[in-house]
Amino acid sequence: MNPLIAPPLPFDMKPRARDAVRDLKLQQFVGNATHLKDTQRGGIFGRDFGHDYDELRTVARDTKQYALDHLDELLERFITNAEKSGAKVHAATTGREACEIALNIARAHGAQGRAMSCVKSKSMVTEEIGLLPAFEAAGIKTLETDLGEFILQIDGDAPSHIVTPMIHKDRVATAKSFVRELGARYTEDPTELTMIARAHMRGLYRTADLGVSGANFLLADEGAAVICTNEGNFDLSVGGPPVHIVFVGIEKLIRGACDLAPFLKLLARSGTAQPLTVYTSFVRGPRRVGEHGGPKELHFVLVDAGRVGVLASEKRDLLRCIRCGACLNACPVYRKVGGHSYGSMYAGPIGAVLTPELERAQGNTDAGLANYADLPRASSLCGACYEACPVKIDIPKFLMHDRARLRERGLSPKSEGHMLKLWRWLAERPAMFRFAIRAVRLHARMLGSKDARSGAEHSWIKSAPGPGAGWTQSRDLGIATGESFREWFARRDNKSGGGR
Amino acid sequence: MRIALFTTCLAEALAPRALKATVLVLEHVLEHVLEHEGVTVELPAAQTCCGQPMLSNGLPADAAILARRMCEIFAPYNAVVTPSGSCCSVVREKYEALFARGSADHKAVVALAAKTFELIEFLETQLKIDPATLRGKTPSAAPITCHDACHLRGIHRHGSTAPYLTRACCGDVRELPDAAQCCGFGGMFSTQFPEVSTALGEEKLAHVASTGAATLVASDTGCAAHLAGLAHRKNVALRVISPAEALAESLGLLETGAPNGGNPGAPNGGNPGAPNGGNPGAPNGGNPGAPNGGKP
Ligand code: SF4
Repeated sequence: MNPLIAPPLPFDMKPRARDAVRDLKLQQFVGNATHLKDTQRGGIFGRDFGHDYDELRTVARDTKQYALDHLDELLERFITNAEKSGAKVHAATTGREACEIALNIARAHGAQGRAMSCVKSKSMVTEEIGLLPAFEAAGIKTLETDLGEFILQIDGDAPSHIVTPMIHKDRVATAKSFVRELGARYTEDPTELTMIARAHMRGLYRTADLGVSGANFLLADEGAAVICTNEGNFDLSVGGPPVHIVFVGIEKLIRGACDLAPFLKLLARSGTAQPLTVYTSFVRGPRRVGEHGGPKELHFVLVDAGRVGVLASEKRDLLRCIRCGACLNACPVYRKVGGHSYGSMYAGPIGAVLTPELERAQGNTDAGLANYADLPRASSLCGACYEACPVKIDIPKFLMHDRARLRERGLSPKSEGHMLKLWRWLAERPAMFRFAIRAVRLHARMLGSKDARSGAEHSWIKSAPGPGAGWTQSRDLGIATGESFREWFARRDNKSGGGR
Repeated sequence: MRIALFTTCLAEALAPRALKATVLVLEHVLEHVLEHEGVTVELPAAQTCCGQPMLSNGLPADAAILARRMCEIFAPYNAVVTPSGSCCSVVREKYEALFARGSADHKAVVALAAKTFELIEFLETQLKIDPATLRGKTPSAAPITCHDACHLRGIHRHGSTAPYLTRACCGDVRELPDAAQCCGFGGMFSTQFPEVSTALGEEKLAHVASTGAATLVASDTGCAAHLAGLAHRKNVALRVISPAEALAESLGLLETGAPNGGNPGAPNGGNPGAPNGGNPGAPNGGNPGAPNGGKP
């Protein structure tokens, strides 16, 4: 798998984040795109729902929570109804199992002596389970048909955003890749670029042996999947090849079409500020007698890969996520460090909590967090993600939760922990605490450089030891060294005869 | 009614003027606007830290110890008011999760949460003070702009400072572009990911500069220290004050201070109103070639 999203573990976020902050192009592309999407999201919800927006989010949250609380029942219902419509349903406990299932399906259709080919539409779960490398190893040639994913594929790059995977790249890079990889004429015109990709892909849809996709929702009552795309590539990947496999995380289940409306209203608006994605496709069963399109065989691979474990944990709320990407667009840290800094296909706030949790739920308890110890700390806890989330996942709460687990397991910097413990110890002893504050102020008065700030006398500390070094590497620390607040308050008290 | 000032440890160490301003503004409102006889602002002496640093950095049990202390200390009062948006939100929305529902501690933190307010919020929603009544005798026309602490989101007060100060005529309040984005402080985050924190802070300062305001009103001591510290290091003339100070200055309860930064260490750098006290656009305000300026 691509080391950008599947790095060697334990993963160290800091060097990637540092590089990203210095990468001017990344700052420009990711900064502009996320700000724009975030602003547009606010705009469209305001226009279309006004004050009802919050109510809509509450409905979506509760609907999804209901589904998670009744997952067993819904799974059974989905399987029964999907099979009734002629689809085959497989359950995979691990990512590897999911890949094996797909390989077996492929093998059953493999023509002797000819390499198989596959057309794939966008799916995060296939990234998660490493489907493409598995296909590649088995000699199955896969074409990413989502335009963004296609460009990343020919560049050997990896997605850095769950909705707009090539947010870190621009048209110029695309133009160059198309010249290099497809022998196309150089153009930066988006329409022309799209037409080049289209011409390249069209024929391949027709000859592919296999179609692969993800799904945004699974409808238990209908035994169907709902797929939202903007390019229509899903419909082509399901319409052409004789066999289609839908990979889907089990958390995508909802009761049925009866519950779908709030999610469709929220998904595209949250992700791309569209009222709906251009295509909202429903797949139910293989091609029926008399139909001209559609696969002869339709498979659903229901992927657990840690989700059952998450469901049993305190972090079960995370499974409500509909992968809209709004929290990434709203996140100040994501805007600065970009998706690859998170070392996972799930970047940004949701990635920071989900990646270690999926790891944990799949393997041994400690490894998840130990392998991604930086992720929970890489947040200012500003709450923009929670505010943006259409299903109201309190991501800051889970970040804090993980910080506590890191601390319990000795995976956080020790010096910092000692300092905080000392701080707490002092805070229980008011006289000593005040003395400590006075000592800091005295220290600043003696060692800091002086000038006035806001009328009070300030000293500026320009270099500090220990954890303070992180502060003074780019900032001075202004400490008021004049009369303290308590001195002032007491002085006034005395003046007014202690009557205050 | 007994009103207690919740000082916060960060403000006691870094921003005593914000605390003085809070007391002065509250007293002014009580005496001259509401004409409440005998209601004063009290300072519970035993208060220290609310536990936010422990809570945010993986030590909830330590935070709980301090939360219990907070409940005891503020138990006798009807209202607890603080100039710090962030610590306020910790008491209001984070304490609850530290204790089991139904426990005595849980009841105590819920009671504390119900009477704890950030200053502007307290004025607006509790005392119901129309900001127009807080206009000073000679309203300032100096351009200012406001940055709200992200944690005000949690108590639904994000973005409420600027309108209040505008109507109180605390200056020519300019709209801050991209006001919703975090300034990058984030407590320990600022030292754990200093480059990211700094990049966000610099973006915020660039937006502040684009408004033409020489005074930034920041509704949390941490954000203020972060932004003022960045500005000072870069020798950018910017005065960073709290909403309480903006009100107190406008009402004539505090003298308008000098900008920070500008020209650290210069002979008259500390003299409010001095010609080169960091006046934006002044010849040496932020000139990297100036003798004392530039990046050390
Ligand atoms: S956590 Fe919420 S905002 Fe983020 S991708 Fe998932 S649904 Fe969207």
